[in-house]
Amino acid sequence: MKRHSRARRVLGAVILATALAIFLFPVVWMFLTSFKSEAEFFSYPPVFIPKSFSLVNYLNAMRFPPDGRGGLQGVRDSLIVSSGSMAVSLLLGAPAAYSFARYRTGGPNLSFWVLSTRMFPPVASALPLFLLFRSLHLLDTHLGLIIANTVFNLPFAIWLLKGFFEDLPAELEEAALVDGATIFNAFRRIALPLVAPGLVVTALLSFIFTWNEFMFALLFTRSDVRTLTIIVPSLVGGHEILWGEIAAVGVVAIIPNVLLALLLQRYLVRGLTLGAVKG
Amino acid sequence: MAFPAVAVLLGITIFPLLYVLRLTVVSWELTTGFPAQFVGLQNFVRALTDPRFWNAMKNTGTLVVAGVGLQAVLGTGLALELNRIRRSRTLLMSLLLIPTMIAPVIAGFQFRMIYHDQFGPLNYLFEVITGGRFRGYAWLASPPVALWAVMWTDVWQWTPFMAVLVLAGLQAIPSELLEAAEVDGATGSQTVWRVVLPILLPVITIGTLIRLMDTFKLFDIVYQLTGGGPGNVTETIAYYTYLQGFKFFSLGYTAAMAFLQLIVITIVAQRFLHYQERVRGGVAV
Repeated sequence: MKRHSRARRVLGAVILATALAIFLFPVVWMFLTSFKSEAEFFSYPPVFIPKSFSLVNYLNAMRFPPDGRGGLQGVRDSLIVSSGSMAVSLLLGAPAAYSFARYRTGGPNLSFWVLSTRMFPPVASALPLFLLFRSLHLLDTHLGLIIANTVFNLPFAIWLLKGFFEDLPAELEEAALVDGATIFNAFRRIALPLVAPGLVVTALLSFIFTWNEFMFALLFTRSDVRTLTIIVPSLVGGHEILWGEIAAVGVVAIIPNVLLALLLQRYLVRGLTLGAVKG
Repeated sequence: MAFPAVAVLLGITIFPLLYVLRLTVVSWELTTGFPAQFVGLQNFVRALTDPRFWNAMKNTGTLVVAGVGLQAVLGTGLALELNRIRRSRTLLMSLLLIPTMIAPVIAGFQFRMIYHDQFGPLNYLFEVITGGRFRGYAWLASPPVALWAVMWTDVWQWTPFMAVLVLAGLQAIPSELLEAAEVDGATGSQTVWRVVLPILLPVITIGTLIRLMDTFKLFDIVYQLTGGGPGNVTETIAYYTYLQGFKFFSLGYTAAMAFLQLIVITIVAQRFLHYQERVRGGVAV
């Protein structure tokens, strides 16, 4: 590559610094707001740094429901539903992905169908699932929400893991099969441990997709189950907006997302493109 | 071994699909209390003659074309800049990816604060820049601007994703190729336009197709920011379908609109698969 002139390097640094400011400011603003007092978020010109970093908004927001809108319930329900859907997707998805990768089960049509279920508009499956859950008494339950999220997480897990299995050389498993191992044992004892990083990436991303999911949580729950994504908009609106409390819930809600962005960075491209582009 | 997963997927996707299909040909208005009635293709006719349906389609189209276009352009630009630096690039990418990872509802809330007409930092910024001539603008309540305010929230979330995606493509370009261009006397911008961007095209296309499908389904941000308003100027097709299904309880009509969206998505998904095979087949990355 050509050596960049000094002026060009300065320009690049300015562009990147501006981009960083633009892309981080809303997150930082929410973080700062979560510590502000009422007078501080209703003041103009806006207060940037709160005078005291008090935790009062967090305490108010997290209290378990006397009024049924506590953030702690949100944390609990988001954790249950996200882990549940993640576990189901991995347990069912890993064997299926292996079988697609190694034996081309069902040919390209079956795998295209699996992919296309991932692309389903949620609003299309919401109505039938709602009527189904209503007759099965699965509305407002963790199980119902786990099933609904699996509609998207299972095909995602299959598709992403399929790519990881395809990256493995088949020789090891072939040797095991020659030595008399069953196909399932070749999968479980040889292939599965070798795709451990892929499993971790798939698990974490499935978790986050459910963690972020909004429409199903909005439509399929009422009071027994209330994920964090439901609590935030339910606090917004009406006459008074509880900026501080919502911001506190928001900060708690994005902790896993921020950790994932920092830790998984190299794999995120692969995960978010369903394995199409390897970062 | 694929059987359990396929069986479960069949159960949770084919059932809804068939059910939606069946509903498309009935008129079933829960609010009237009348039982479902076979009406043939009338629900589709209703969609195609419903100005609000077309309004929602137009808004969604604007978000898809302008929004995703902006993400592709800004993302590619950002990737080219990121590719020039060595130090702290990994950290920078991690930080930039935070908007992509957070829930759209939370992003919507953040921008509600930022766009706030009285206390929002955006209006403060404009007031300072213009020396006080511009103040108190209601971004989300102003018909010509509201859709762009919604769009920017999506662009803000997904431009970093595009940047990191394109950067992955950039790093896969063999340096010999760029050296050869230099030896042949290409200037920096010629190299970018004539060598780098054509090679990156499949990767950019993959990202664009993914974003196209997601943006076509845009719901969370609209719900959180504007509720489709003011009037219907920010109503997307996903939001309008949600209203018909879960506010007006017009089930047959909802199913017909859902089915139309399914067709669009399937066509795009097919293109995605096509490009995915090309990219993995070694054309680029």
